[in-house]
This record gives sequence, structure tokens and C-alpha cells, in this order.
Amino acid sequence: MKKVFFICALLIYGLLVFQQQQSSAEKMSHKEYANMPLKDCNECHKAQGIPLSHDNDWAGKHHQNTDWMGEHRALAGKAGGNCNECHTQAFCSDCHTGGGVDVELRKVTFKRNYMPKNHRSDFISIHPIKAKDNPQTCTRCHNQRYCSDCHVRFPKGSLRIKSHNPLGSNGQKYWALDHSTEARRNLQSCQTCHPTGDVCIKCHSSGKVRPHPRNFKAGNFRDKTNGKMCLKCHLPGTF
Amino acid sequence: MVRIQKRLLIPLLGATLLTATGTTTWALEFHGRSSTQYLWFNSVFNGKKQAEFAQLLSFALTDIDKEKKFSVHGYGRISQDVMNGDGFDGRLFYFYADYRDLFDKIDIRAGRQFVNYAAGSALVDGGMVDLKNVGPIAFSVMGGRNVLYGIDRELTRAGDTVFGAAATLVGYPATDAEISYFLKQDSNGVARETIGAMFRQYLFGGLKLYGNLRFSTASETFEEVLGGVKYFVNENLVVTGEWFQSYPTFDYTSIYSIFAVDRYQEGSFRADYTINDMFAIRGAYKRQDFGEMTVGDVFEAGLKVRPIPNLMIDLAYDRRQGYAGSLDGVTLDVQYDHTPNLQLAGGMAYDVYIKDRMTNRTTSQSYWLGTRYKLDKNMSFDLRVQDNVDVWKFKHDWSGRVAFNYDF
Repeated sequence: MKKVFFICALLIYGLLVFQQQQSSAEKMSHKEYANMPLKDCNECHKAQGIPLSHDNDWAGKHHQNTDWMGEHRALAGKAGGNCNECHTQAFCSDCHTGGGVDVELRKVTFKRNYMPKNHRSDFISIHPIKAKDNPQTCTRCHNQRYCSDCHVRFPKGSLRIKSHNPLGSNGQKYWALDHSTEARRNLQSCQTCHPTGDVCIKCHSSGKVRPHPRNFKAGNFRDKTNGKMCLKCHLPGTF
Repeated sequence: MVRIQKRLLIPLLGATLLTATGTTTWALEFHGRSSTQYLWFNSVFNGKKQAEFAQLLSFALTDIDKEKKFSVHGYGRISQDVMNGDGFDGRLFYFYADYRDLFDKIDIRAGRQFVNYAAGSALVDGGMVDLKNVGPIAFSVMGGRNVLYGIDRELTRAGDTVFGAAATLVGYPATDAEISYFLKQDSNGVARETIGAMFRQYLFGGLKLYGNLRFSTASETFEEVLGGVKYFVNENLVVTGEWFQSYPTFDYTSIYSIFAVDRYQEGSFRADYTINDMFAIRGAYKRQDFGEMTVGDVFEAGLKVRPIPNLMIDLAYDRRQGYAGSLDGVTLDVQYDHTPNLQLAGGMAYDVYIKDRMTNRTTSQSYWLGTRYKLDKNMSFDLRVQDNVDVWKFKHDWSGRVAFNYDF
């Protein structure tokens, strides 16, 4: 029954797509409109039923909180990507790799670089919340080395992390209770201050507490790194 | 590494000189922007005031050949700290030569460039070749040195490389699709191997479906899955719904890649409504699921007002609560075009947040003022000053920039 439903759904979808392709004009170049104000795009894109691409929240361009939608990933992809008809690569790199040659007044700079609007208020203060919010948002632009490169310049222990803090007057820690759930939810935070993972290996190396997930594909990791990662915990020939 | 960086900056300096000598000497077209800036801020590392002069240049050199197929594009920055001993710094964001339509089928781009496939993106010193006009599928390959930047220095190491390939659907105006492959290597071996896909479909002139996914070949899991639908109800109302899931992912050459992690999921809904030329409102809600019965809720409400055509007021309220702390705040941006040549702007952000149970309520405040004056259609001055209040080590953390921009 499920198969029949799936095939029917697929057929209906195929017909819809076919109908859509038949009724659409060929995709046109937008180069000649490159310098036109965005609001004037609506003359075609609203009146003629053409869906907007630069609608209100495209990459948060016009909004304060820019974590909302991931749609611009799909728009800026290789397929159908006509961004370069109007934008230079500076448009991408100012957000993704820093810069700021053409920033609006309301855009903030941190040190020398323009910061996207999702780095709101004083971002150094609130970035721990944002980093836990959806860690993949950070790694879209920042390599993990970026985090470690900054955190390594501060003394260890100077940053407040719940599982690292004393519970009571005897110095007992939340560690045993909380660190495993913290780590599973946001392992990037651990790597930020412990980039080599040496502190994890003390308890999680071979013969101690197993860190791997249930469906761990050990062979894949071994093959891709020539066993170098495995050797951090396991003896040669045992993995 | 520094030597490489400086070598790459030589063309940037050369291009700057070209700018100074004018743009009409050759038959070439040379366009872009030069921005000479003075920036000041407090160093987060030592708490001292830092002041820098910076020169940014972005340019495009076109019409080099008769058929206008060949062009060169660049964007970079050099800066010199004059107060805190940070010294000279340079960053080349991109610098590449672009040759299009070779045999009407091949585009070639060589040099430093930003590349983006559904499977991954990177800043590479290398090349990209696109094969097109060969049927309903176009192909692309890219590869080179993987350039990584930190806050104030380049973090690329020996052996950091990326390679990628993509196949994309072409010729269907309402459908875009891509399947791609992304391989990242470092000195320890394969750091990432990802298969990605992207899909976008327009339906009935007012509906858009889109999706993006990334599959890790080592863990054999979907690192990221995004699915969304956008509906343009009428000319003024747009509603969007999205679902996203991800796993914390790491380079395979990092010990963290072998640890068990929880899946993160979020569902979001957003509505944007333009009431008339004067008012626009928006509202959004996001439900976050961090696994192990842990959730978060995020709300946003916003209002954009244009009481007169040259005044724009943008007010937003955000509230986040649940796992990872709470954040409750407002932001305000005001922009006033006093004359066609003079723009005044200002704004503030006021956030109240609690990081976790170990910390108390804290505020994060920032206030800023700025002005832009256009001397003529090619030249403008910017001034922007910001004060972050009671943050980090500072009661008042002042920062700002003065920029002279020249478009050529």
C-alpha cells in the first residue's frame, strides 16, 4: 500500500513539474537589472507571478535576527545560481570570509572585518548561546580552527562552563553528571578549548569508556586516515 | 605562509596603482571600489586600544580580449596597526582570472576564489572548470589549496587541500537540482568526504519548494538535511516553513569525529506581510530539538516603518528560551536620507541573557551612530561609531571606522 501511495505521489509530482516547465518561459539573464533598486524588482516578480528570490529574509539581509532560514543555501548553489550576474564574489566573502569594502552604515565591524547581522549586540558576550543554538550555523563560515585560535589565547579555566564548575564547598563537580550530555549535544564546544582531545582520551581510550556511537563505521575512519586516528587510542593491529 | 600571503598581495598593490593612474588609458574596462579606512577598537586579547589604517580594494578587469571572454577579479585588504603593536596584516579574499565560453562549452577560473557546491564550500587557491551546453546536465570540477582564516591570521597548514565536483540540471526554468562531491584533506589524510544535493522547484507561480542535504561517507549519516516551502500568498504576504536537522560533525582527522553525538532538529515558520508603503510586519517561530528531551523555543516579531519616504525605522524583538540559555532583546535601526548626498543613521541593541544555570541575568547593550556623505557619484565618506556597554573587560567598549570610498 505504501509503495502504491509513493508511486502515485511521484507521478502527480512529475505531472506538476512537467506542467510547470511547459508554462514557464526560459530562464533569463538579469545582468541588465544589476543596479536596479530591489523594490523595483517587484514590477516583474510580483505582478507576473514570478516567485521572489530576494524576498524579505534572504540571508537575513533586511532583518535583525538572521538565523531564521537556510533558503539562501539553495539559491546560492551551483544549480541555477545566477548570483554573479549582479554580485561580485565580495558580496559572498564579506559574510563568509571577512572584509567590508562596501558595507552599509548599520553593519558592524569586529576588528577589521564586517560581521553579519546575526552577530547581534555584543557578540563576544552572547556567542556561547548562539554557538549552542545550532552549531552548524557557525561552521558554515568558520572552520573549527577559528574557534580554537581565539580560545587558546585565554587561560584555561577562565571561561564558565557548567560541567567544569564546582558544585559545593568540597569542590565536587557536575562533571560526572553533566559532561556526557553536554558533549553529545555540542561537542564543538569541547573541541574549542581542547582541540586535540587529549583530555577526552584519558577516560575514553581503548579498554575504558567507549565513546563511539552504536552504528560506528570504524573501517571507514580507519581507511580515510590510514589508521592515524585509531592509533590515538588503540594499539596497532587491534582495530 | 606569511611569504605566500605577501606574494599574493603584490597584485593587489599593483591594481591599486592602476586605479591611481586612471581607468581609460587602455581599452580595458577597470571597475571596482577602493576604500581607505581608519578603524579603532579594543583588543579582546589584551584589552588595549587598537587603531589601524586599512586599504581595501575590489576590482574587475574586463574587456581584455576582443571577444570579452577573459576577465580578472580581485579583492583584498592591507592594514597597519599604529597603536597596539599588531603590525601589518594582509588578506586576499579572492584574485582570479576568468575565461568564459571556451568553445562555447567551458568556463575556466584560476586563482584564489570562493567556491560553493551543495556538498561544501571553501576558499581555494586553485581552479574551477565548468562544462556546459552539453545537454541537460552541466558539470563542474574544482580543486586547490584550502585557505582558512582565523580572527587575525591565516590558519592554513601544509597539506590542506580541497577537491570537488558537481553535476547540475540546466534548461528547466522552474527546476534547479545539483548533486555534488566534496573532498577535504589535511596532513593526516581525508578530513571530509561529503556527497551533497540541492533541489529547488517553483510551482504555480507562487510556491517554491527547496532542499539541501549533505551525506558523510565516513559516518554514513546525513550531516545536514534542509527542506523548505515558501508560499507567496499574494503580492504582500509571504509565508515560509522549514525543517532542518544536523549532527555535529568534525574532520575525520580529529579525534572528535569518532564520538557519539545527538541529532539536532528544528522546525520554523515565518510570515512577512507588507501592509502598505509605510508599514511592514513580520513574525516567526522556531522549535529546536537538541535530543534527549531537550528543546528550545525562539520567537521574533518585527516592524518596519517608513513614515516619510526618506526615513526608515526597523524595530525587532527576539526571545529565545530553553536549552543553551535564554536571550531576550530588542534591536532598533533608523536611517534618514537627509539629502540625496547625506545619510544619517543610528541604532541600538539591548539583550538580556542567561547562559546557563551557573550565570545570572546579564545585559548586552550596543549603541551606534553613523553618517555617509557622497562627495559626488564616485566618492563618499563614512563615519560610524559604536559603544558596547558593560561588556567583557570594558565599561564602555568604543569602536568605529572612518572610510573614504572611491568607485571607479
